[in-house]
Amino acid sequence: MRIEEKFKQLGKEKKKAFIAYYTFGFPEISYTSDICLALQDAGVDIIELGFPFSDPLADGSIIQKASSIALQQKINLNSYLKILKDIQRDIKIPVVFMSYYNPVFKYGIDSFFSKLAKRGVSGSIIVDLPLEESCQYLVCSKKFNINPVFFITPATSPERAKRVAAAAKGFIYYISITGTTGPRSLNFKDIASQIKEIKRITATPVCVGFGIHNRRQVKAISSFSDGVIVGSEIIKFIGQNYKRKNFLKSLKRRVEDLGASSN
Amino acid sequence: MLLPDSRGYFGQFGGKFIPETLSLCLKELQDSYASIKKSKKFNQELDLLLRDYAGRPTPLYKASSLSKELGMNIYIKREDLLHTGAHKINNALGQALLARFMGKKRIVAETGAGQHGVATATVSTLLGINCYIYMGIEDMQRQKANVFRMKILGAKVIPVDSGSKTLKDACSQAFRDWVANVKDTYYLLGSAVGPCPYPQLVRDFQSVIGKEAKRQIIGQHKKMPDYLVACVGGGSNAIGFFHPFFKEKKVRFIGVEAAGFGLSGSSAASLVKGTIGVFQGAKSYVLQNQSGQIKDTHSIAPGLDYPGVGPEHSFYKSIKRAEYKAVSDKQALEGFNLLSKTEGIIPALEPAHAIYYLKKMAKGNKGKTVILCLSGRGDKDLDIVRECKL
Repeated sequence: MRIEEKFKQLGKEKKKAFIAYYTFGFPEISYTSDICLALQDAGVDIIELGFPFSDPLADGSIIQKASSIALQQKINLNSYLKILKDIQRDIKIPVVFMSYYNPVFKYGIDSFFSKLAKRGVSGSIIVDLPLEESCQYLVCSKKFNINPVFFITPATSPERAKRVAAAAKGFIYYISITGTTGPRSLNFKDIASQIKEIKRITATPVCVGFGIHNRRQVKAISSFSDGVIVGSEIIKFIGQNYKRKNFLKSLKRRVEDLGASSN
Repeated sequence: MLLPDSRGYFGQFGGKFIPETLSLCLKELQDSYASIKKSKKFNQELDLLLRDYAGRPTPLYKASSLSKELGMNIYIKREDLLHTGAHKINNALGQALLARFMGKKRIVAETGAGQHGVATATVSTLLGINCYIYMGIEDMQRQKANVFRMKILGAKVIPVDSGSKTLKDACSQAFRDWVANVKDTYYLLGSAVGPCPYPQLVRDFQSVIGKEAKRQIIGQHKKMPDYLVACVGGGSNAIGFFHPFFKEKKVRFIGVEAAGFGLSGSSAASLVKGTIGVFQGAKSYVLQNQSGQIKDTHSIAPGLDYPGVGPEHSFYKSIKRAEYKAVSDKQALEGFNLLSKTEGIIPALEPAHAIYYLKKMAKGNKGKTVILCLSGRGDKDLDIVRECKL
């Protein structure tokens, strides 16, 4: 399913998107397919499948650690594509590629996007590729019909937000705080007023990420946005529980509890 | 052509590859720098501090014994004589004044060898701005004296234990701090690396090295030198030294990187052994594996122990304006010894790489005139050298 279809469906059902971030290859590559399926079973609407990078500038300690654990194995973008192929038939929800630019640059963005498109990926997030550096990225996104998701943050000027919103497709990723990923308390009022401003300039769905780690936050933020992105909390749960019995079931339950099933 | 261009590119290198959160503050930095650069008051204040506080101009010393030993005319640009012991103070003073102009209440910085950390802590104290220094725990072990100096100066040294626990991780951590505190914080980056406008900013503040050297060599030697030789980690002393000579086509530039255990093993020679990539905000040469993950590096000199390099050096390499060579740990120790024994000057391990290269190039260059940039002094490295049983 493509991102825009998903939002259309959610709109009809009067629901909001619950987007789950998960680091490919964490804790081991053999877990990745099953974890993606468990997230889908839990009611996640979109999976943001992160390809780990050695120097993740925008990430807090939880995702930093997960990335470095994943990278202890021999993984690369080809193994990422291989897993996507394995799960392509079973994953019905949209999958969004996420990483930092260097692995993509090294692979060749044109070649990589053509393969991502074949694996049914409908969106991409490249954290350190701001609008100014996105010329080729936008060309490839269009060519292979992969929605480029861009960020707007509390530090983005209104004028810049307009340009970002004009380039973004699929959804806009609103970063709740100025800071890195990881659980924290959030000021709903501030976020709500920012979302209102962005909604005024674009019809593209706006989802909120960074810091969101409990059901209360999921509910509150969903009430005034088009959805939420939860990452570190899921990664933390996986790291703490993957060796336990019935891990996949407990992961499903945890993600349901976070609000994936009822959003 | 004036480089970088408006997008921060030197040819195909440079740019601004950063998370969205930083876009506003980099723009603000770029604009503030553009306006302050022309300010007479700013330049007068900086010049005065460089002269009376840091100790500029630094001498250009004709190293007769070393010249005799190697059969070349060797001049040494004495950045080691500056306050705090290295060229880092040039940049730290310039940027700290900029931070104050921008009204920032807090300065963060990364450090490898601790020289940039000490310089930043020093100028922050001078200007009364709170200072936080990120440093890899491996470097904190290797450069204990500098950690202590920073603490005496009132800076908070924050240990970094992620990744390789050295300079690149300290740099990432400083960026993360900045991302989280953009409004009141100034990131005082120590090398000519990172996103636009840092490579230009740092180069401009370090260009005082090359400008002085140019004037001094004409005064003393009556003509341009044949070579400029400097060590390159991120490359700030080298670019500040080379840049004012850019148009002197007959002056050849040699940048010396760290080969660590040797080029086939773990090194820090980004330009010699690396490939083009995007790392910590800029497109440049970088040590990376085939799938674009950044490699762990090694050098005996903590200030060179970094997988990236400034984009302007990558540009100089691509247009063949400069040559880049690599010198191993063992050879650097030989260079360290050579200058200590011939001239009675104990160099830092970083420029010791360049000193060794002088010996290597001497064979084919008898009688040629060379200026070496002695970027820092060796006090900080005595523990490392003692452990190596020189």
